[in-house]
Amino acid sequence: MTVLILTCEQDVTADMVVAKLDGRGVPVVRLDPADLPGAVALSGEYVHGVFRGHLSAGGRMVSMSGLRSIWVRRPGVPASRVAEPSDWLTEESSQALYGMLRSTDARWMNHPDAAVRARHKPWQLQVAHRSRLPVPATLITTFPQAARDFAERFPDLVVKPVSGAHPQEPPRAVPTSRVAPDADFGAVAYGPTLLQRRVSKQADIRLTAVGDRILAARKAVAPDADPDDVDVRFAASPTPWRPVEVPPRVAAGVRAYLTEAGLSYGAFDFAEDAHGIWWFLECNQSGQFGFVEIETGQPIADAVAAWLAAPNPAAAPSNGKALITENQR
Amino acid sequence: MRPFALNYARPAEQLEVSAPYVYDSVLQLNVMPDGRLAAHDYAVLRELGATTSTAGSKTHFDD
Repeated sequence: MTVLILTCEQDVTADMVVAKLDGRGVPVVRLDPADLPGAVALSGEYVHGVFRGHLSAGGRMVSMSGLRSIWVRRPGVPASRVAEPSDWLTEESSQALYGMLRSTDARWMNHPDAAVRARHKPWQLQVAHRSRLPVPATLITTFPQAARDFAERFPDLVVKPVSGAHPQEPPRAVPTSRVAPDADFGAVAYGPTLLQRRVSKQADIRLTAVGDRILAARKAVAPDADPDDVDVRFAASPTPWRPVEVPPRVAAGVRAYLTEAGLSYGAFDFAEDAHGIWWFLECNQSGQFGFVEIETGQPIADAVAAWLAAPNPAAAPSNGKALITENQR
Repeated sequence: MRPFALNYARPAEQLEVSAPYVYDSVLQLNVMPDGRLAAHDYAVLRELGATTSTAGSKTHFDD
């Protein structure tokens, strides 16, 4: 049974897992949907109630029924590397590939439906709240007056993108940033704005959940750190990431979150306050983990490999999967 | 007409350093010129920031 990894070639974080799978002797097919059609090819037939499908990439051929798991890491846009790309061909290729993969019994990290839903930060906040993870007071609004009222109630705020995406025309980064006390909220009307009570943090926490495995790392805020440097991704910091024990209540909350979200992998960001409380900031359903493993030595890649390599009890032993088709009903 | 959040935008850092490794489609891994696996060379990965939480920001939502 094969592990299918959907990612781009330059994804060295995926390399860390491929190497672990190789070490376990688990067959791997790695491909980038951007190369479909072309270097990646597929075929699937739905005949007499049976689906049979095959994928080919890099000289490897794998049966769809031979997939034990599918890891959606950093896949390119389907058909984006053909000579004459088009939205139509991208949609055709996407439907063919992901539609067939959905026809298998393979386990997903993460399933595309769960992944799409999990990217919505407003939804994340609600799930975190239901999972009993502390969530800082947050407002998402296009009403300038609502922003002003919120700022009166919570005078120390940060602003961050609702989607987590960064604008590309021109390329810019939008770090989580501290809002000035005298900020003019008029521009809130020009785009949904996420404002959140700033957690006066003594450390950033990156918690990586892989199935039932939970590993957390802590990066202490330097004593002389500028309080305006809110976003650990963009602030130069001399303090390293270090492994940290996960409080049982947080672990329970994380597991509840993953269950409700239908995720088998999640990279959680928390801010630890002066009382040691871990405040939920977000959960990235495909968040990076390589930098944590490199700094802490935590075996995250091995945990991912172990999850992907686990036997799939739902897999059919033969090269086919029974389906009920229209003409059989 | 600029959205509020973009008041806090900054130019994206363009990484001009080219990766010293290339993808080997047989191994399905990136390989250094001397044949070592790039994934095992933490010094190179650190230098490139290839595994950090902003490495995928251009094309992916998930950091």
